[in-house]
Formats: sequence, structure tokens, C-alpha cells
Amino acid sequence: MFKLDRKSMINGTSAFAASILLLSGCMDGSASNNDTSTKTVQVSKDGSVSNNDTSTKTVKVSTVGVYEIKNKTAIDGGVTYVKSDGIETAYRYNQQNIKGVSFGRVATANEIKAWDLDALPDGTGLPEGEGSVEDGDELYEAQCASCHGDFGGGGYGYPQLAGGNQDKDKNGIVITLKNQRLEPGMDAPKRTIGTYWPVATTLFTYIRDAMPYATPKSLTSDQTYAITAYILAQNGIEIDGVEMDDEYVLNAEKLAKVVLPNRDGFYPNIDGPTGPADVKAFFADRAKNIGSGTRCMTDCKDPGMDGKTEATVMKIGYEMKDVVPAYSTVRDLPPEIENSLISKAEKQYNESCKLCHATDNMGAPALGDIDAWHELMLKGKDKVVYNAIHGMGGMPAKGGNADLIDSDVKLIVEFMIDSSKKKH
Amino acid sequence: MNKEFQTEELASVSRRNFFKRTATVSVAAAATILTPATVLADDENIMHHTKWGTTLGDEINKNPYGVPSKYEHNVVRRTSALMSSAGDMHAAISMTPLHELNGIIVPNGLHFTRTHNGVAHIDPTKWRLMIHGLVEKTIVLTLDQLKRYPSESKVLFVECPSNGAAEWKGPQFNSVQFVRGMMSCSEWTGVRLKTIIDELGLKPEAKWMLAEGSDGSEMSRTLPIEKVLDDVMIVYAQNGEALRDEQGYPVRLMAPGWEANLCVKWLKRLEFGDKPWYAKEETSKYTALTASGKAIQHFYALETNSIITSPCPEVPWTDLKKGDLVEIEGLAWSGHGTIRGVDISFDGGKNWVEASLKGLVLPKAWTRFSYMHKYDGKPLLLQSRSYDDSDNVQPTVNQEKKVVGVEGVYHRNAIHTWAVNAKGEVNNVQIRS
Repeated sequence: MFKLDRKSMINGTSAFAASILLLSGCMDGSASNNDTSTKTVQVSKDGSVSNNDTSTKTVKVSTVGVYEIKNKTAIDGGVTYVKSDGIETAYRYNQQNIKGVSFGRVATANEIKAWDLDALPDGTGLPEGEGSVEDGDELYEAQCASCHGDFGGGGYGYPQLAGGNQDKDKNGIVITLKNQRLEPGMDAPKRTIGTYWPVATTLFTYIRDAMPYATPKSLTSDQTYAITAYILAQNGIEIDGVEMDDEYVLNAEKLAKVVLPNRDGFYPNIDGPTGPADVKAFFADRAKNIGSGTRCMTDCKDPGMDGKTEATVMKIGYEMKDVVPAYSTVRDLPPEIENSLISKAEKQYNESCKLCHATDNMGAPALGDIDAWHELMLKGKDKVVYNAIHGMGGMPAKGGNADLIDSDVKLIVEFMIDSSKKKH
Repeated sequence: MNKEFQTEELASVSRRNFFKRTATVSVAAAATILTPATVLADDENIMHHTKWGTTLGDEINKNPYGVPSKYEHNVVRRTSALMSSAGDMHAAISMTPLHELNGIIVPNGLHFTRTHNGVAHIDPTKWRLMIHGLVEKTIVLTLDQLKRYPSESKVLFVECPSNGAAEWKGPQFNSVQFVRGMMSCSEWTGVRLKTIIDELGLKPEAKWMLAEGSDGSEMSRTLPIEKVLDDVMIVYAQNGEALRDEQGYPVRLMAPGWEANLCVKWLKRLEFGDKPWYAKEETSKYTALTASGKAIQHFYALETNSIITSPCPEVPWTDLKKGDLVEIEGLAWSGHGTIRGVDISFDGGKNWVEASLKGLVLPKAWTRFSYMHKYDGKPLLLQSRSYDDSDNVQPTVNQEKKVVGVEGVYHRNAIHTWAVNAKGEVNNVQIRS
């Protein structure tokens, strides 16, 4: 341990010299006009910050948490620590020979095929299959519109997929993305597939893996191509100069050719043989590229974007108080929660059905909506239960929870009917 | 928007009424100390036998898995519809109650949680990890087989890069839990990925690794090889026990210091390739749009950051009297390395003094700081500013805004300000122009 301490201290001293340089003066002669609030400041003995002479500013060197650094420009702009003699920073590590430790087995070709589905931007990995904009329209209306809005236009709180102005400025920047809400009431940058996303293969992979939201991985490759085609068409995307009309059929080859409007809207470069080196160079210059502070200690100025206006105090304009559970730091006994009064059906409703049926936002009859359920019941209860078990329109079979048995679904439907009756 | 800071106004900032407990304590404390000792009332809690001292307690193993005291029922994660899509709590985030925590380890039940398609529940006997792509030999591991590899444990913070995102355009939540609660710190145990990769043999053309989750969202992200071969782990334990479902049971990736989103939960697949994948969560999201109209991508490490947790809106100074010596306490952390120190300002950033670090000071972990302050009842604009061993210093709101604007969503690490008024109440404000 003594060896570690000495090494740490030696390194700590040299590493610390660099950080002392960060103490900037901020002593440009302008008199401070601070009033009452600054008088409460106590300059600590440890800090030993002098009042007028920049050259005497020192900070007491501490060795806590100072570890031997191998590399100060890791790919993320941070440090890499030395690993030697069984020690890496504060940790000891296993120095025994672990070469030859090997468990598990080789993956089969079929297993890799089953799981390796993510496509690269050049189309590598896209499956066979095809789908038309028209087929996509039908699938989208049934399975996607309840969350993402008609034509991908959003409006229900879930991501908007299409829309937004794709016009660019003379430097090729999508103009809406330059919007900055510096004051209340200013326009937000519009981030849709057409204005923001860099590549289209992402859309295919994501829909196939993660959508529809409540029943992911339920779409075939053909269906996924169709929905992808429909969403690209709603964004006005052309492929090889061809407009995507209703009859347009998308496949792997055509999808790989899509160039989205914001393809060049991201930095640092990650593509090609220099990708990782470009990332490293970018994060090495943090002050310029990301923004960094300075360790000014006295009479610090903090001008704003115009370089002149000093910072002032901004208070909460509209406080977000809608938190669950409500704020409390009280130490008392919890209120009795009458869990026993919630039926199994209601619990299962909460787990599998509430997502869509809590409100009518998703097009489903909302729990407690007397009129909607009255209309539904005109079909007869058996038919309503049948539809719940087998699915109907945008509603997946059993609400997407295949683990529910038919008799459970029946009880859930009965709970929903009971909860949506006129109360006497 | 208020452009002028006036102490009188600060004192009249709207009251919160959820601190009744401290108000009561305040009255009691005042009575105890100001009244001459001879006329002090006797405390009922001392003068009478207690219920718990005069009855038989529970049997030893009534709770085979222990639970917190029921009096601690308000120490919980909290969420808000603002942290979700349309109030749907399957793709949402819950916040760690930073004001209730001590030390640097977060109890597993209070670890913040982010999900993109609900919390998955994986049968560990059916879980498989596949590693393939540009490796000499592919591998499929069961959980038991993964645990056969030599393990290592590290204390690391995990932070959502959206932590503090509600504050880009100004203060919104009057709560430390919502201002900075999208993070936690635990001791994680698992296998260093390099241990397995060395055995499989990485092909020289491999530059990137795709990590993919097995939940409904198949959360996937691309990481550069340099990091993978440095300190990335595949972890199966958190603070001595199996990962919680919310943290990716049975196995998640752990990329120390990097976006929690890169620490893919419910991990199922690692693929090595020569090109990045452009997954949905590294293109449409987790990219930081700047004022130029272009966005920073592959934004890996969380910046150096800090927050004062005492006082804060939830833990105010309303029970203090002038002359009390009180500890200002908080957390500092950096994904770039190790916290070197923290400075404190009482006047909104004009003048600074050095705080002390205390406890364990570990790389890419929460670090506690402390400053003993003589309370004098005057309004304060309290700030903390951390710096790390990569020479990264926490910026002011203006310094950060100047480079990246206010629409980036991710990686916000500007210096935070608590306004302490004359009553000792604490409110969230921002120093900005």
C-alpha cells in the first residue's frame, strides 16, 4: 500500500499543476459593485484566495482521488488510468493468469441469423421482402395512427414522424433545426424523420424490432417495408429521383438508396476509417466544442451570449408540480392502501389494457365512457369479449398480452363494462 | 422573467407547504434553546415508556428479505407526466430522491429508472448472451456460464444524459429530486468485457460494437472499440445482489462514466463491426442539437457536474437560527475521470471558496463534498462548481449556452443555483442572461 500512496502522490502533484492553470484571474480592474449578498462570503483557509494579486492564488494540493493517468485524451476526452502491479486507481485487480478461461459455446449459423437483424446504413442486413405505400397506409391507420397521429403528424404526445419544413439554408442546414427557444413563445426546432433523422435503415430496424409499441416484433418483413414506405412517403422522400406514390413498392435495395434531408446534420464524423479518430479529436477540444467552465475565484464576470450582458436571477415561471407520488419528506405511518379491494380483473386491466383504454386518445373506448360502452354493447357482450380475445382494428389480441387466458379476458371485459355503466 | 435580483423579492418567493415537519422541529428547537434551562418542559418522549420498549418485537425473520422502516415510506422514486410520452409510464423515467440519500451508494430500490418499453421481466434460465461479428470465434453464454468468468466490482455512477434537461430554458421543478435525480451510484459486479473478447479474438478491422437489449424496445447502441477494451463491463450484480428488473436483470452493459443509455439493460447481443450502426437511440434521440442547427452525435461521457443536496428545496434551512454552524453538503461526479475538487459560491458565482471532499474519491463515481457555513439568515445564491482530473471545469449556464444553445436536451452540466431566502427556504433559480 505504501508503494501506491507514494506513486499516487507523485503523480498527483504533477497532474495537479495542470489544473491550477485553470484558475483564471477574472481581475480585469472593474470594481465590484456587489452588495449584501457578497459580504456573506467567507474565504476559507484551505482556499487561501487572495484579494488582489493573481500571482499569489494557490489552492492547497490534495491527494484524495488522485490516480496515475496513462492517457489524457481517451476517445471521450477524458482520462485513461494506468493499470499495473495489480492496481488500477483505488482498486486492486486480479493479477493471476486468466488466459484460457473459457465457458459457453460457439453460436450456430441459425442462431446468429435469428438475432443479427440490425441493418447498417448501406443496407447490409436488410431482409428480403417488399411493401407498398398503399399497404403501409392501411397498416399504419390500424396499428400506428392511434399514437403517432394521422399521416405521422403526431398530436397525441408520442413522437411525430412526419411534417416540419425541410428547407435548408445556403450552408445546407435544415432551417427549423436552428430554432432556439431563448425566450418564451419562440418556435421549437422540429425533429421528425424528414427534418432530423440521418438514415432510413434505422426506421426499418426500429419498426421491425420495437413497434407496434404494445406488441413489438409482430410485423412481418413485408409489413415493415410497407409501413416504412408509407412513413417515408409522408415525409415527401424521393428515392433515386422517384416520388413515392401509393403504388410505390419499397424493398432492401431501394431503402438503402434513401438519402434523408438531414444526412449531414451530425458531428463529429463517425464514418469511414477515420471515424474513431475524428470522434477523439472532437472531444479533445471540449472548451470549443461542448463548452467548459473556468476556475475563476473572485470578482467573476459571467456575460451572456452577446458577450456583454451580465447574468441575473431567473425564477421558476411555471412550476411543474405534477409529480407522483406527491412531494413529502414527512416521517409518519403510510396511509392504509386497500389493495385487497382491487379485483384480479382490475389489476390485469391496469397491466394490459389501461395503456390504451384510460382515455379515448388512442381510439379505444375509454373506461368510464358510458356512451362509448353503451354503443359497444349493442353488439352483445359475447361479441365484445370475442373481439377482446381475438383482437379488432388497432386492438391486438388480448391487448397484446398473450399470457392472459380467455377466461381472464372475459373477467377484464366485465370489469370494464361494469366501470362504464351509469351509476345509480 | 425577473431580470433584477432583489433580496426582498427573494424572501417572498412562494411558500411550499410540504415542510411541515421541519416547521414543527423549528418551533421546538427555538423553545428549547431560547428558554432558560430551569423552565424547560420535560419531553414526553423521555418521561414515558415507549410502545416499542414495552412490547415484544417481531420475530427474527418476519421479513426474509428486509424492508425499510414503514416510517420511511416517503423516501421513494418519483416521476412526472413531463418525463413520459403523453403520461404513458412505459416509456418514462423515475427520479432518485437525492435529498434523502447518504454517502455514495444508492439503495437498489431507489435507483433511478428509464425504460423505453416498460420494465422487462426476464427468466434467467432462458436468458442468453451472444457475441459475434468481427471476432475469430463467436460465443453463446448462459447466465451461469457468464458468472464463471473472473469477476470485478466497481463503484460507478449511472446517469441519464437527460438529467437536468427540464432546465435548459429556465428553472422548472422546485426539487433536487427532479433537478438532478436521473442518476444513481452503485457498486456493480460483473465481467470485464475484455476478458471474454481476448479469449474470442477480436479481428483487427473491428472498430465498433453494437450492444442490444432484449426488452420490447430492443434498445441498441454503438460503442467504439477503444472504450470496449478499456473499462466496459458486463454486470449482473448491483450492491451485492442481482440487478433489479428495473436495472436490466439479469445482465446489463456497464460503460463507466458514459451515458446510462449506452449501458444497455436486459442485454442479449454484442456484435463487432467496422461501421457504426446508426441505431434509433443514437440518431433520432441521444444526439444534442446545437444552435448551429447541427447535432452532436456519439456524445459519450457525462461531463463533470455537481449539486448541493443540503440545503435544497426539500431540505431547507427553516429550522436554523442565526449563528448556527451548518454543513453544506452535495454530490460531484464526472464521466471523464475523478473529481479533483468542488468550489462553493454564496453570491451567485461572483466569488468562490473551496469545499472539502469527503469519503471515498473514486473515478467515475459520486463524490461527496462538504463546507461548514455559519448561518446568518441573509439571503444567498448558493452554487457548487466541480472540476476533474481531465481539467474539465463545470460551466456556468451562460458558458454552456454560448457553445451548445438551449435545445440540446442532453448532457446539461451547468452550475446549479439554490436561492436561500431570509426564512431559510430554498428555491430553484438560474443565474443567466
